[in-house]
Amino acid sequence: MTRKYMLAGTSMLALVGVSAPAIAQERVAPVEIFTTTESYDPIRYEGAFIIAEAWRELGLDVSVRPMEFSTLLDRFYSEQDFDATILGWSGRVDRLDPQFFLGTLDSRQAELGANNPGGYDNPDYDALYDAQGAEFDIEARRDLVHEMQDVYMGDVPVVVLFHRDEVVAYNNTQFTNMNAMAGEGLYSEWVPMEAEPVGDRTTLRIGGPQEPDNINPLASTSVWGWKWMRMYYDRLVRLSPDVEPVPWAAERVDPVDDVTIEVTLREGMTFHDGEPLTAEDIAFTFNYYMDSEYSYFNSYLAPIESVEVTGDRTVRFNLSEPSAPFATITLSQIPILPAHIWSEIDNPQDLTPEQIPTVGSGPFAFERYDRGEFMSLTTNRDHFHADEISVDGVEFQIFADAEGVFTALQTGEIDMTAWRMEPGQIPLAEGNDDLTVVSVPDFGYFHMTYNLRREPFDDRAVRRALTMAMDRERMVNVLLDGRGEVGTTVVAPVNAYWHNPFVERFEYDMDAARAELEEAGYSWDSEGHLQR
Amino acid sequence: MTLPPILRAAMGPLRLMMQDRLAVIGMCVLGVIVAMALFAPVLSPHDPRHINEIEDGSVLARGADAWELRESLGPLALNDAAQRGDQSIIVGRSGTVWTRADTGDWTRIDVATEADLNAVDLNADGRAVVAGTQGTILLGTGADWQLVPAPEADLRGVKWLDTERALIVGANEEIWLLDAAAGTFSEIDSPVGRGFPLNAVALDADGTAMIVGERGLAIRYDPETGAAELERIGSSRDLNHIHIAPDGAALVVGERGTLLRRDSADGDWVTDPAPDTRALRAGWIGDDGRAVAAGRNGIIMEWDGAAWQIVPTESERHLRALLMVGDDWLALGSDRFVTRLSPPSREHWFGTDHLGRDLFSQNVHGSQIALLVGFLGATLVVLIGTNVGLIAGYYRGRTETILMRTVDVMYGIPFEPFALILVLLFQPSLTIVILAVSLLTWRTVARLIRSQVLSLRERPFVKAARVAGASDLRIMYLHIFPNVLPLVFLELAIIVGVSIIAEATLSFLGLGPPQSISWGGILHDARLSGAWRTAWWWNLPPGILIMTTVLSVFFISRSLEVVANPRLRARQ
Amino acid sequence: MTRRTYLIKRVIQAIFSLWIIATILFFLFRMGLPDPTAALITEGLNAEQRAAVRAQFGLEDPLWRQYVLFLTNAVQGEFGTSFSYRAPVSEIVWERLGNTMILMLAAIVLAYGIGVPLGAWLSWRRGSRTDTVGIFVGLMFRSAPMFWTGMIAILVFGVGLSIFPTSGMRTLPYDADGFLDKIFTLDFLWHAILPVLIVALYYLGSPLLIMRNTMLEVYGEDFIEMARAKGLQERDILYKHAARNALLPVVTQLAVTIGLAAGGQVVVEVVFSWPGLGREILNAVRTSDFPLAQASFLIMAAFVITLNLLVDILYTTLDPRVSFR
Repeated sequence: MTRKYMLAGTSMLALVGVSAPAIAQERVAPVEIFTTTESYDPIRYEGAFIIAEAWRELGLDVSVRPMEFSTLLDRFYSEQDFDATILGWSGRVDRLDPQFFLGTLDSRQAELGANNPGGYDNPDYDALYDAQGAEFDIEARRDLVHEMQDVYMGDVPVVVLFHRDEVVAYNNTQFTNMNAMAGEGLYSEWVPMEAEPVGDRTTLRIGGPQEPDNINPLASTSVWGWKWMRMYYDRLVRLSPDVEPVPWAAERVDPVDDVTIEVTLREGMTFHDGEPLTAEDIAFTFNYYMDSEYSYFNSYLAPIESVEVTGDRTVRFNLSEPSAPFATITLSQIPILPAHIWSEIDNPQDLTPEQIPTVGSGPFAFERYDRGEFMSLTTNRDHFHADEISVDGVEFQIFADAEGVFTALQTGEIDMTAWRMEPGQIPLAEGNDDLTVVSVPDFGYFHMTYNLRREPFDDRAVRRALTMAMDRERMVNVLLDGRGEVGTTVVAPVNAYWHNPFVERFEYDMDAARAELEEAGYSWDSEGHLQR
Repeated sequence: MTLPPILRAAMGPLRLMMQDRLAVIGMCVLGVIVAMALFAPVLSPHDPRHINEIEDGSVLARGADAWELRESLGPLALNDAAQRGDQSIIVGRSGTVWTRADTGDWTRIDVATEADLNAVDLNADGRAVVAGTQGTILLGTGADWQLVPAPEADLRGVKWLDTERALIVGANEEIWLLDAAAGTFSEIDSPVGRGFPLNAVALDADGTAMIVGERGLAIRYDPETGAAELERIGSSRDLNHIHIAPDGAALVVGERGTLLRRDSADGDWVTDPAPDTRALRAGWIGDDGRAVAAGRNGIIMEWDGAAWQIVPTESERHLRALLMVGDDWLALGSDRFVTRLSPPSREHWFGTDHLGRDLFSQNVHGSQIALLVGFLGATLVVLIGTNVGLIAGYYRGRTETILMRTVDVMYGIPFEPFALILVLLFQPSLTIVILAVSLLTWRTVARLIRSQVLSLRERPFVKAARVAGASDLRIMYLHIFPNVLPLVFLELAIIVGVSIIAEATLSFLGLGPPQSISWGGILHDARLSGAWRTAWWWNLPPGILIMTTVLSVFFISRSLEVVANPRLRARQ
Repeated sequence: MTRRTYLIKRVIQAIFSLWIIATILFFLFRMGLPDPTAALITEGLNAEQRAAVRAQFGLEDPLWRQYVLFLTNAVQGEFGTSFSYRAPVSEIVWERLGNTMILMLAAIVLAYGIGVPLGAWLSWRRGSRTDTVGIFVGLMFRSAPMFWTGMIAILVFGVGLSIFPTSGMRTLPYDADGFLDKIFTLDFLWHAILPVLIVALYYLGSPLLIMRNTMLEVYGEDFIEMARAKGLQERDILYKHAARNALLPVVTQLAVTIGLAAGGQVVVEVVFSWPGLGREILNAVRTSDFPLAQASFLIMAAFVITLNLLVDILYTTLDPRVSFR
């Protein structure tokens, strides 16, 4: 009797043991991957489908929704209404400092519209973020930056899918000495200054599918506006092709103490209209920007408390707190405006295109801008750097799309591309003896961000498993034709000083992904759906 | 009876159409395309969306000015090769081992393992050691092979230190010293100990061994002391392969075109600028200064004494190993690679696109969307247009005013931009594409039908029906409608053509439903990829298909026009 | 109904249509398009700074107020400032419209210049092989999508033979002091040939077939039989009597085509990088540039409506049989 009872008991237990998960577990809800449309970016579009395929293999119900870019940004940043989104950050020179990219995982930037839409929230990470921002010893700061990458990687709030090489080309029968710059490609301020004509034409012709939103230095909020304007506006400091700060309009930049920096101007500089460039202009420019409603430069200007003229050629910057990137980033980003023109303008944002002053002091002078068609600059022969410049001017032709640009490059209508070529165009350019193809590493990245506020992405194990299920190596091979590299942390490997190579990596491994899920209590139902 | 008048009305046009040769041709062509759409899955030899990747035991040989493809060694990837004296050996995936016979031909050797073999080396006695996945270690000469028992491990590199001892490295930072005579091995402590993958090992001129691995790891192992120590060679990239020439010239290659070179045994490591940034998987250097590196996507570069130069290979294969036998230089591969942009062949009748997808299958499937949007859109248009026209023309008065003012407003909207906006606003899907195509087109039909109805409603037979007490509905649909039927058919045919072009246009602008395959979409991809200017096989078929389909519809509509307009018939 | 009241009625109708379209557009865009400032995030602007931009563009106001403002401004031809260009919208739109119209008008003139006589000739040679070939060719270009013929033309004439430029309106560097100065040059002509040809070939089929068919109809009319009975030469009958009477439907079609021309052919503008209005509207909608998208579309619609109106007026003048209904 007892024996029988016990038998029944054990079989009951066994039954419960087997069936309990089946009863208690629910299918994991379907998820959507948001990505760009195919026309906006075929790489991210196809990438989403490759990822979805692997996730389905894991038993997840996945659909892909390509969206117009502006809609995608809206859903991702402004509404944070997404499961998982594929987007990217472009690597601009001023983002070589890790501050910006690390900030995209700061929990205090997780509110609507800010840079951390995934909502990663890790107090340790935030503490380290503050610590590295205040750390002035560069090696100590590097250790903190490395530690941050290590801290967040295991949680994978965001997957850096890959870094796509910026592949551009120029016509070597027209120009030589064309040196690409990290993060900028060929269309940097230096290429026109260094290019040497070998053909008949002495003006450098650039072609691109993008044009400036406008050329008002107090209204432009696009890279394309600033890429063009910085050729005719000088800065106190310029970042060299090797991304080292070099004194430019400034002869010297001397730190007086932690929060005081004195800048001495070069002698004899003039604006394009012949007026001399003085310390007054510098002080005016910085104050003008700080007083204006134009917010594009606010993060650069934030540390400045006041700017004062201390002599004919000397200006003193008083900072509210020590700031390591001030001399490199701030001084190299703010253009020098002529005080005698801009001081007359009260509402600079409201200027119509004809009213926008185009007088700078840079190595090139503004010539004309026909919207949608072309822009041109002439070389400023009075500039202190003019002797180094071989071209007589720069022209930029605006095309409808990358195809138009490439055709023009092939037919010799333009000398170089301002924007990367499509993978299919690269072999064609390589096969053309007249063209030289240049590949520049990107320290920006394409990412997939999980919405940590939503199931199932609120579960660290799921994020880890799904990341392991991404064959990013294959994506680089198939989609980028091998021109790029699989991503690890938000600080790219090419940014060697700040990048931490010794972080956890997520190699493509479906078995490991399944094991990770199983360990976290997930299982699969009879139809192979993931359940918990 | 209800049917006969409609049927009779429909039979007339058909008979007339049969008399028009162009219309008959049009019907035949359309028939073929409809059949194509219906049987698309059967007709297409491949999945049109499948990214076509193949694995291949590829062999490339250095020719006069390019690396040329030789006959491949089976369907499995080749991972590593070794050569000593007149002996050469290649190992590859899934237990593949090839040796070179006296004739120069390769023969496959059976080694009784299914593991992927990653590395091989030969010693002075001609004995081979092979390392692979699942802890596979093989020792062998000729046809005589033995398996050394080892625990589970992904072993990636192997090198003989002398005739008896070999160093084996693996993916979990394993460093094993193999005693070949005893068939045993001992583990050596790695100086890092964090489980970082080690990829390759080479024997330096001084008798020590150099191991390289991921994250720029370089470890030197001294067999004399038995100690392994970290060495800095100036990279934090993943290093895939190392080769050291007998006198000490050395080359390390890695991810993102990483090239680290050392001229002599006591020289310093220099990072060379690479002409291409794709991952390098194998390198070879001679003491005379010659050097070669091979990698992903068919990249091979050679050192010309001053710089690395890309040598054309015309191949997308992923190269994994180099085998240099005298002047016979071979590059070996390849794990799964995409057969990109291949011109029409027996396997791919219309060639492949930039992702190696079969274009014939795509074109066949493309007919589905074209016809679906064409016919569904046109039917919708004609349905709305005819009814609005009938009602407006028949009832007149306020009903007519409201309906026709609506039509007037619609006439003020430019068609193409509006369709674009509609799709952009609501995100592309099949429904929205059909709606965008048909939402404005019915205005023409409504106007045409209305003017016909206006004159028909005054005809005696309508009046007679009204006197006989027929309801409005009955008069409209049974008496008037059959008389406008030829016109309806004509409009239907024209709008089918217009809809097909409109759909193609939307898809060409990238506004087609995502992941759907349509002719316009194929052209969109072709243009987007930048390959359209060379890949004629990608460009021509969809355009020709759109043209023929629409043309055949137009031919049919032309003969219908004769039906709708009897005066034309008289003169033709 | 007198002619005058008819005209007044039609004009009121046109204005009504325009208002309806403007209203639909306004609400469609506001409801359907995302926040235009979303794109500023990737440029490094935070939420606060974006709100400032929104306020600057009046996007923080209640919807009805935006609508009223939009309407009152539109009546005065004032369409506000483009978000993406930060420049007055009307300026951009008129310039783009000019570019589109010059391309489309040239193509339409070419198509009708060739199509009409060719159609008349084909009708004369009806039933012959020439007729069949003519119809075939006309319909063939009508059936081939323009983006495809355009791509092929670029491949052959631009890239292959390099006799025509492949994109844009002019060669750099080029100084033009105004629209007319820009288009009355050989260089412009050289750039315009390919796109104009492609559009013209597409439009060729319709005047060709309409002319041919109406001519066939006219042949059946009594007065032609009369002329023939009088022993007039067939050629004289064709050009002097028949053709004149057959022109009306062609003229109608021409006016309708010109009306639609303002909408342009977006694909041609894309394929040939032609800076036209169609491409602009596509970009404006993609970037949620409400003012620009609204204005472009409204001006297009105004164009279409005006030309439809003109056609109606033309019709009452040309053909007295049309009653003022």
